[in-house]
Amino acid sequence: MVISALHRKLGRDLRRLWAQALAIALVLASGVATLVLGQGAVASLSDTRAQYYAQNRFADVFAEVTRAPRAILGEIEAIEGVLAAEARIVRLGRPDLPEMAEPGALLVVSLPGEGRPGGGLNLLHLRQGRLPDPLAEHEVAISADFAAAHRLRPGTSFDVVLNGRRHAVTVTGIALSPEFIYALAPGEMMPDPARFGILWMPRAPLEAAFDMKGAFSSVAVRLAPGAAQTRVIAALDRILAPYGGTGATGREDQTSHAFLDAELQQLRAMVQVLPPIFLLVAAMLVHTVLSRLIALEREQIGLLKALGYGRREIAAHYLGFVAVIALIGIALGFAAGAWLGAGLARLYAQFFSFPFLVFSRDPQVYALAGLITLAAALGGAVKAVRSVIALPPAVAMAPPAPPVYRRLSGWGAGPPLRQSSRMVWRHLAHWPGRTAGSCLGVVMAVAILVAAFWSEGSIAAMISATFQRAERQDAQLSFVADAAPAALHAARALPGVLVAEPFRAAPVRISNGPRAKRLAITGRPATAQLSRVLAPDLRPMPMPEDGLILSEALAEALALRPGDLATVDFLDGRRLTRQIRVSGISLGYVGLGAAMEIGALDRAMGDGPRLSGVDLALDPAQMPAFFTAVKATPELGALSLKARTLTRFRATLAQNITVMTSVFATLAGIIAVGVVYNFARIALSEQGRELASLRVLGFTRAEVAGVLFAELAVVVACAQPLGWLIGHGIGRAMAAAFSSDLYRVPFVMGREVYATASLIVCGAAFLSALAIRGRLNRLDLIGVLKTRE
Amino acid sequence: MQTEEVIRTAGLSKIYRSGPVEVQALRGVDFSARSGEFIVILGPSGSGKSTFLNILGGLDSPSSGQIRFRDHDLTALDEAGLTRYRRDHVGFVFQFYNLMPSLTALENVALVTEIARAPMPPAEALELVGLGPRRDHFPAQLSGGEQQRVAIARAIAKRPDLLLCDEPTGALDSTTGVLVLEALSAVNRATGATTLVITHNAAIREIADRFVRFADGRIVEEQANAQRKRPSEVSW
Repeated sequence: MVISALHRKLGRDLRRLWAQALAIALVLASGVATLVLGQGAVASLSDTRAQYYAQNRFADVFAEVTRAPRAILGEIEAIEGVLAAEARIVRLGRPDLPEMAEPGALLVVSLPGEGRPGGGLNLLHLRQGRLPDPLAEHEVAISADFAAAHRLRPGTSFDVVLNGRRHAVTVTGIALSPEFIYALAPGEMMPDPARFGILWMPRAPLEAAFDMKGAFSSVAVRLAPGAAQTRVIAALDRILAPYGGTGATGREDQTSHAFLDAELQQLRAMVQVLPPIFLLVAAMLVHTVLSRLIALEREQIGLLKALGYGRREIAAHYLGFVAVIALIGIALGFAAGAWLGAGLARLYAQFFSFPFLVFSRDPQVYALAGLITLAAALGGAVKAVRSVIALPPAVAMAPPAPPVYRRLSGWGAGPPLRQSSRMVWRHLAHWPGRTAGSCLGVVMAVAILVAAFWSEGSIAAMISATFQRAERQDAQLSFVADAAPAALHAARALPGVLVAEPFRAAPVRISNGPRAKRLAITGRPATAQLSRVLAPDLRPMPMPEDGLILSEALAEALALRPGDLATVDFLDGRRLTRQIRVSGISLGYVGLGAAMEIGALDRAMGDGPRLSGVDLALDPAQMPAFFTAVKATPELGALSLKARTLTRFRATLAQNITVMTSVFATLAGIIAVGVVYNFARIALSEQGRELASLRVLGFTRAEVAGVLFAELAVVVACAQPLGWLIGHGIGRAMAAAFSSDLYRVPFVMGREVYATASLIVCGAAFLSALAIRGRLNRLDLIGVLKTRE
Repeated sequence: MQTEEVIRTAGLSKIYRSGPVEVQALRGVDFSARSGEFIVILGPSGSGKSTFLNILGGLDSPSSGQIRFRDHDLTALDEAGLTRYRRDHVGFVFQFYNLMPSLTALENVALVTEIARAPMPPAEALELVGLGPRRDHFPAQLSGGEQQRVAIARAIAKRPDLLLCDEPTGALDSTTGVLVLEALSAVNRATGATTLVITHNAAIREIADRFVRFADGRIVEEQANAQRKRPSEVSW
């Protein structure tokens, strides 16, 4: 049977070339896996969040007030487009747990849906225990991360300081909430579950503690499908303005949702930039490698033709050979991608405290990855098979005519080299296309590695600018409510305080024509030393006497430049609207920022000097005394510690970006090994005869290996600079794709990134060389003498 | 005048094993050659002559028997030792030339002189085979005969003790073949290298000092010529 004989040949060819076939399959698998894993993780997280929001009735619009009567809830519910509204009491409290040396904070929220069976918004998902009984004053539910950090279980009792008064509570349930997926304490940059948590308790004790009988401080609104959010917000703002409303916001400005969105955007950026490049690189390499591999089969193809096999049968045979390799690669890629994607989604789900995880698989992504890969592989094969099949059998059976070398004009005798080095030099120069192709493969291997490591320098730059140059305080105290300037003296009097600098944070809406952003303007002393505003060149900026400094991201979003007038609506105090001139642009990596001199801010707000908190430099020796004093003075408000923020910042990045980077770097490493190994193997096949002849002439194994490895080394070395350049470009694109309102990612790529990428590729080349060395040692010295070139 | 013995074999046997199949290529060959001798080896395909030459050249090792090069026991040498032996003492000429296509005629010769202990200048080796004017041509720009003469120049440039030629005229027409044999004969005289030439062509035996005939892995005939003929005098 004709077919079965060819099938047997196919099987045996695969076995003979198993190492090369496997290397190609792994390169393909890496390309496929990056696409599948990234898309899988993003889809899983988006779908999980959507389902979680829907199941737990996450609100669409949020608003805070100082104190509003519950009676106006009906009015809010009557706004067109409002499906449901919930009035809550939300206040900061302080946990009094014996093991907490550093004072922490709890956001105390009245139980959702109280008094409305089946109703309520932002419903809790119970991890453990039960919800508090609305009539039991001491029962509470606590957020899962905080509970885990302090080993709180249903039945545990502890004290909470509410509005300066100690209140004993008993945990009945451990819960998660769609409102606090990303639980950020006021004034903090990073979630810190050990120092900040959410406490849900019945309304009655909260009303009593905060003097909120029949009143609320926060409202959450769920919109009817298709409702116009901006109109609802405008109506809500009108209703709440008399009660100290600071302006309603949509989900996009809700802290937890916005941070989660930024994270998803970063993940999406990675998924959109890197995998297509990986897949293309893999496809390109496979294309080159397979076409050269088939060119080496020339004699066998000639023989098959001489035996009477038709072109179609022969073409089908070789395409089958390639298809088997491609399918193995695709299958491995699907499996690895699905597995890694699920792992990554699970990691994020854990980080974000999702109650469950929906694994999403988009068949289109799989189909696309599979098709691109198969097409690239078959494309490479078709080109080579076609050129060989076109030859008459007698010509094909004979090896290709020896190449006609010529001296390179203008090179004279060439550089003064040993003859073996001259061989290397002429090989490379004789096939510029092939040399360039090999180089390009290594270039892309270097580039994807550089791109995979791009974030390291950027993160270091962010940390250095934010935590070492800008924020130099040891701690920040955010007062419960704005205080009189005397509070600064009280803070200075705390034990261990070396320096105290005041700040005022004023909630505002800054606009320029139709562009508007809500944020807080921070007022600081003119020459603040602890918390400084940095210019884009990282130098501290003195606060101007009047005028507004905007962060780069904010200035861009509002299309404002120094000298322009910005419209500032103060959402607090006397609620004035001012035109303030933009006097400078500052650097800011986290969040949107705006700053003024504190006195100028006070004047603009028209309500006299007020402080929102103080930045502190502390004497390390007196930290315990400082913590004790702060704990004993609850009205001082929330304390944020820079060292802890930095630790959390690093840990969070380690968990997210670094994990992703490692996955990509591993896959890039596999591609690098696959590329270099295949190039080395093909070079050996192509030059086997010459190398064996050298052995016969008395060249040692090491000298012969040197000829082949020198060629590999030149290709690998030449590829490095271009690889760095392309990797640099990809990294820059990634940094740009990472930037959002919440994060601005600087692009800083240190030399060590290039060095690491090059080291990995050179390591891959070295390992490939080792693998080839064995084959070189087994060259058939006698066989080569009996065959015609 | 009796010259020094360069190479000697005693009871040389070679068995190739491939799974259960055994092929006895050599069956106890006793042979010796003296310095400067020109020996032609005849025999049909599969008679063991190439295997014999490969073992003499250190490209293969015998299954049993002795082989001595001057005072050295070649059977005792490991792979590196055999490489050293080939590098310092043996010149090869093959049927298909085995030149490096990327190097010119002169560079192909220089390839070997660069690693040899006391080589002659590459240009001198090319002059010896009459290819001085073609020194800067690449193999693809040379005829078959010219390529083979470059191969001879390459083989003798290191001043080898042994010059081993396996079918050096096998791929050439008779006129070119004569030129190549003339070159071999000339360098044998000029350098004093012991020269062994394998051929299918029995007529060539007349240009040698001595010829041996192989059959079935043994030397079945050995005869010295009273007079060496010039290759051009031999009728092909």
